[in-house]
Amino acid sequence: MTAAPQDSERPQNTRAIMTFLREHSPFSNMDDAHLAHFAEHASLRFYGDGDVVLSPEDGPVKRFYIVKQGRIRGERARDKDGETETTFEISQGECFPLAALIGERPTRTLHRASGDTFCLSIEHDTFVMLFSQSDPFRDFCLRGVSSLLDQVNQRIQTSAMASIGSSNSLDTPLERYAIRNPIVCSPDLPVRKAVARMHENNVGSIVITDDERRPTGIFTLRDLRTMVAEEKGPLDTPIGQVMTKEPCCLTAQADAFEAAMLMAEHHFAHICVVDDENHLIGMVSERDLFSLQRVDLVNLARTIGTASHLRTLVSLRTDVSRLVDAMLAHGADSGQVVKIITTLNDVTVRRVLELNIKKNDPGIPFTWLTFGSEGRQEQTLLTDQDNGILFQTPDGMTEDQVREKLLPFAETVNNELAECGFTLCKGNIMASNPKLCLSGREWDDWFIRFIDASTPQNLVYSSIFLDMRAVFGPTEPLDALLDKVLTRIRKNDLFQKMLAGNAITRKPPLTMFRNFRYVQEGKKKKLDLKRQGLAPFVEAVRVFALANGVGEANTLERMNRLAEKGIFDPKDANAWQEAYSLIQAIRMRAHQEMLEREEPLSNYIDPDDLNPLDRRILRESFRQAQRLQQKLEVTYQL
Amino acid sequence: MLEQIKDWIERLRAGSTGGPDREHLPTPKTAGDQRLSDCRLIVLDLETTGLNASKDEVIAIGAVAINNNAIAMDDQFDLILRRPELDISETVLIHGIGPEALTRGHETEDALLHLLEWMNGDPILAYHSVFDQKFLEKALRQTLGYTQPHTWIDVAEMLPAFFPDAKTGGRGLDNWADFFGLEVSARHHAAADAMATAELTLAVINKARKNDVTTLKDLNGKLKYYRQLKNMHRHG
Repeated sequence: MTAAPQDSERPQNTRAIMTFLREHSPFSNMDDAHLAHFAEHASLRFYGDGDVVLSPEDGPVKRFYIVKQGRIRGERARDKDGETETTFEISQGECFPLAALIGERPTRTLHRASGDTFCLSIEHDTFVMLFSQSDPFRDFCLRGVSSLLDQVNQRIQTSAMASIGSSNSLDTPLERYAIRNPIVCSPDLPVRKAVARMHENNVGSIVITDDERRPTGIFTLRDLRTMVAEEKGPLDTPIGQVMTKEPCCLTAQADAFEAAMLMAEHHFAHICVVDDENHLIGMVSERDLFSLQRVDLVNLARTIGTASHLRTLVSLRTDVSRLVDAMLAHGADSGQVVKIITTLNDVTVRRVLELNIKKNDPGIPFTWLTFGSEGRQEQTLLTDQDNGILFQTPDGMTEDQVREKLLPFAETVNNELAECGFTLCKGNIMASNPKLCLSGREWDDWFIRFIDASTPQNLVYSSIFLDMRAVFGPTEPLDALLDKVLTRIRKNDLFQKMLAGNAITRKPPLTMFRNFRYVQEGKKKKLDLKRQGLAPFVEAVRVFALANGVGEANTLERMNRLAEKGIFDPKDANAWQEAYSLIQAIRMRAHQEMLEREEPLSNYIDPDDLNPLDRRILRESFRQAQRLQQKLEVTYQL
Repeated sequence: MLEQIKDWIERLRAGSTGGPDREHLPTPKTAGDQRLSDCRLIVLDLETTGLNASKDEVIAIGAVAINNNAIAMDDQFDLILRRPELDISETVLIHGIGPEALTRGHETEDALLHLLEWMNGDPILAYHSVFDQKFLEKALRQTLGYTQPHTWIDVAEMLPAFFPDAKTGGRGLDNWADFFGLEVSARHHAAADAMATAELTLAVINKARKNDVTTLKDLNGKLKYYRQLKNMHRHG
């Protein structure tokens, strides 16, 4: 092929179309070669007033249109009366239909010419070529599709849902579940009568309410079993004395996910649904939420939380993986799933600590800290330990003496956690490391040195130690420590700048041609979703969070807070959250598939294995990471 | 487009086959049952050295094709002919083609051969087609000895036939272009004028379909009826 012809060598009509295009966005920002490609492959059509240009019946949209002259009107039938209403107007220089074309689906709106109208259009393959090669064009198309990523998410969920045959998702508000009219009684009713009433109605629980129907307690068959087995009292005891007081309550607007998390955290199988004034309106059970999914989240959390042997805990880990599988299949979003994994991991860590304290209490009040992804509540199934201890030094003891007692304890805990599947940390970032088993004062000193001496090694550690959370023990000592650390970072511009510089060293895997940049490993093309995909988000967001006094460690929550504080444009924050969540979702799906094939878990995937839509989404997500890094560069003038 | 023609000329000079065989040039198609909505129509405009077909010459050919009711930009013809010997001082002010551009143009013979092949015998539409028909037929006859008659349709006649109530303020291409709000990118540039004519043709075809005029034969019938009507008015 010869070199691209100069403008003067192009046919007059091609040049004229290019001139027209140049007057409109996004073409005004496109390279001449791309504009020429558009113009040379365009065709011009005429539509008389009222002619249909595009219709939902036409099947998936195959062409990209731009109005050269005239106007296009979008028409949708109103649900109520079947009358049509105009939903939008597209005039000269504007493009359509973006969402349908990118989603490879039919348009949802009838497009009709309004007055004599000429449209230029290109075929799908020309569109794809420009979409993949021209940045301004792609940006424009994706921006035009306000919630493209949303739609993809929905599509993933819909297909998962279809295979399971349920229309309930975890986002469903509780009021949409068949809330049963609960069996209620007053606190003075004898247990025998209450149980008889449960039996008559064939239910497993009864809610005890006051005179105004506000729930004051709950009594379940499990409580009855415990009562009988532990001989807590005769069956004519008033139920108010044996009920579980202050039952978990949620309003009807809360969603199923909230209910599930509350159940998992507190090991309850029932939640009272109340109105705004706390009057009982219904009841949901674990079985209501999960009957269709067969996801036994609550029971699993309860079993882990009450396991009496390490052996049991170890064996329960396969159930966790099975549960994640079911949740992903059911279309839970990645944010929900990582939180569930983190919750279950927390329960496991707590139980290991409790069992060890029971066996061999070191007698020192301490807070068990987790760092890194666990600190951020972003754990997946592939996780290693990053933990430490923040202790309070009892009177009359030195810090070293405390460590003498705590370190052997911590070592046992670290090893037992390893048996449960939390890989030992190769960098020895574990509570059994004397450098990470410190008093509040020592931690504070540690962070002063960390922040002041911003060595390259320290910067590497920033991704671990600046994302921390308390999992066990009192949280106040950590809050106090975090307060001081955040204040110090806010005042230290140099540290912020170094963090920012470090955060942009890991570039999202896009080459200038928008293809993936691979890590070469043998024949297969490998993409590291964690280091190349998620890390750019996590690290850039951390810098902004620390610089602006955001105490949360979770990346999505940090972005929420940064948007609230006006540091991020809400639309940007939203796009970044979506992009981050989608990479995470693809990573988790890959993990589940590896488990299925009984392969060791890794964060590498071959993009060729993804379907074209996922590939496109992944690429777009990486581009969002690039934008976020650019914001960092601008903010810190890197 | 240009590359394509250059390639073709190169091949022709090298004596390889694949170029139009002068003995087997396309045969023009007659106006029959071809449907307007899916047949291919050539819309052509010529720039000449003057208005007198007996002494003036063609210096530029611009044409686009309407296919399936659309003008595809990858199916067009835009050439300045190589006629350095011609005196063009009179018309250079109108179409802006100076002596330099003409010498950079293409050998007339090559260009016309290629045009014939590209047109593929399809019906030719032009604005005031009698003018273009005379010049093109003369050029084809003199240069190539080609005498087969193409089907010609006058867009200037079609427009008032289908839009009888249009207040255009005149019968010229500019009047109709203004009436439809068209922007002609470079007036008196053969290709740009052909494009404007083709755009007007799209509007006509759209209107024709709504009047149940669907084939070329229907169209000819309609135009004949329109001519009779006009004559009646004139004489009545």
